[in-house]
Amino acid sequence: MLLATGVSAPAQTLETTYRTNGATVQAAFEPVRVVLQECSAVIQRGRKEIAYGTVMSADGFILTKASEIGDGSGLTILIGDKSYSSPELVSTDPAWDVALLKIAADGLKPVALALDQPDPARGTWVIANGATTRTTRRPQVGIIAATAREIPHAGGPVLGVSFEEKGKKLVVTEVAEKSGAATAGVEKDDVLLMANGEKITSTEVLGEIVNKHHVGDQLALTVERKGTKVEMKVELKGRVDVFGEELTRNDAMSGRFSERRSGFPRVIQHDIIADRQRIGGPVLDLDGRCLGMNIARANRCETFAIPASDLKSIADRLMSQAK
Amino acid sequence: MTDYSSGLLLGAFTGLLLVFSTQAEAARPYINDKKAPENRHDLEVIQKHLTETLPTTRKATVCIDLGEGSGSGVVVSADGLILTAAHVTSGVGKEFTVIFEDGKKVKAESLGLVSTSDCAMARITEAGTYPHVEIDRDDSAQLGDWVYSLGHSGGFDKERGVNVRLGRLVQVKDDTFQSDCSLIGGDSGGPLFDLNGKLIGIHSRVGQRTQENMHVPVREFLKNWEALQKSEFVGEGPFAKKPEKGKGFLGIGTEARAEGGLSVDKVGRESPAEKAGLKSGDILLKMDGVDLKSKQQFQDMLKEKAPDDRVALELLRNGKTETLTLRLGER
Repeated sequence: MLLATGVSAPAQTLETTYRTNGATVQAAFEPVRVVLQECSAVIQRGRKEIAYGTVMSADGFILTKASEIGDGSGLTILIGDKSYSSPELVSTDPAWDVALLKIAADGLKPVALALDQPDPARGTWVIANGATTRTTRRPQVGIIAATAREIPHAGGPVLGVSFEEKGKKLVVTEVAEKSGAATAGVEKDDVLLMANGEKITSTEVLGEIVNKHHVGDQLALTVERKGTKVEMKVELKGRVDVFGEELTRNDAMSGRFSERRSGFPRVIQHDIIADRQRIGGPVLDLDGRCLGMNIARANRCETFAIPASDLKSIADRLMSQAK
Repeated sequence: MTDYSSGLLLGAFTGLLLVFSTQAEAARPYINDKKAPENRHDLEVIQKHLTETLPTTRKATVCIDLGEGSGSGVVVSADGLILTAAHVTSGVGKEFTVIFEDGKKVKAESLGLVSTSDCAMARITEAGTYPHVEIDRDDSAQLGDWVYSLGHSGGFDKERGVNVRLGRLVQVKDDTFQSDCSLIGGDSGGPLFDLNGKLIGIHSRVGQRTQENMHVPVREFLKNWEALQKSEFVGEGPFAKKPEKGKGFLGIGTEARAEGGLSVDKVGRESPAEKAGLKSGDILLKMDGVDLKSKQQFQDMLKEKAPDDRVALELLRNGKTETLTLRLGER
């Protein structure tokens, strides 16, 4: 019984150190933190932390989130208690938003990828990078939160044109600057005739054709321009990439989420609230094995990571391009 | 509202026993009595509790699809009683669709709510046997307990499924739990569980900081159980607004007839009347069993009604009488 009388009891509050990510609770993860210390990289530009990285080989290959490091210039990388300057940006994989960096090193301890198991179940402990000092990686802990899956590009694929319906014709009124339509040369006043061999008779028909595709697909488009038919290939881009993103109420309460947080072929999801500049490091289990690499903080309660098996194929592909 | 006498509690428990069979109590996990987990074994115990209880708790956690926006809820009886938040149902007698994690959709309607503490009850209106969870009737949750939150964060997502987050009870007040399980829009009304998979709270609201996640303790529900079941609107705000008398909207124009009753000469587009099937030319004979004699009398009766109130209209159509029951809209 909380109350014997009608007087309200004062609030009871748990000290910070005993909270889920308090220091005392995190201390129970010390053996995993030791692994994290060796296999995660802190990526700095100047003195500012901009991302984390996952050590993939003893000789200095590191994977990170491509969209957070720009052209890769002026970076410094901390691994263990050592610092490495001017890493080389070897290659990137735009589909996964992953970049491969190389530093001159030997004897690094790469992550042990957990490859021999199904996707980790909901409720599995995960450990990833928290705050850091020059010499010490601190952990953040959480659990697997949802089913592994594809995260489609936000808003789905778009041609990137505005148009008006005149009779049964769609006439282009505007071409968005960052769209595939602009690159392909669609112009104002073009009449949209055919897409992938199908006649465009209404907005709905065009919508159906476009929605059958994925972002990155090419659409064969025929337009009528001043009485002549013009054929072109248009790359479909993500709605958010073309038209920008309207912040939702959920975004407003989500702090510093990743700018690129959709359009991943497959992710596992956990509940560690990693700030945007802490993305790119490994996600470890209680054995210190690597379940994946953080690729996006989606919002206040969802963080995405590339699963270990996919991480391996990305790393193999990018590293083979380097040699 | 925050008073909490043992007498009230007892009453609530009696009510509950009518709904639930008594079951053997799962022991309180030892980990809750440690200040913090100390080693790998302690951590594995937490993980084991989670992975063992999640299959049951996930199945009973539903998305409440409100058309515009969505919340979450949890089924607490085999015949489909649902607990959720008052700001999700936002009223008594509201109809909505409920979606289970496997995508199964069923119709439901809201019962009562407590507008001061954010409790609400609803029930599935399609007969069936539904997966459900057990309520922590002993009110056993304590500060520091390991807990987990489930919800259809941001709306139903079949590929993702129910979203789970782990945390501890970081603040315990009479009418609010605070946990460090991060919540987001769409989680509202979703369940908070202890490590045995017993329901201890319902998600209500968040603060700006990610550690501020507020839940209504189940004792608030137990305390108000009868009122909730009887579809009562308890208290005045801030989590739901009582429908105002006089704001009820039917959407027809009528003319009095010399021989009694009112003839319908206009039916508003998209109005509750049109949706219920009223047509121009229908003759209204009675409302809620009272003979209709004049326009003034009819309007006076409607003025006593609030949005969402049900009215029964007896009408004459093609020489036959029939009764239409419909729910008023908001003026």
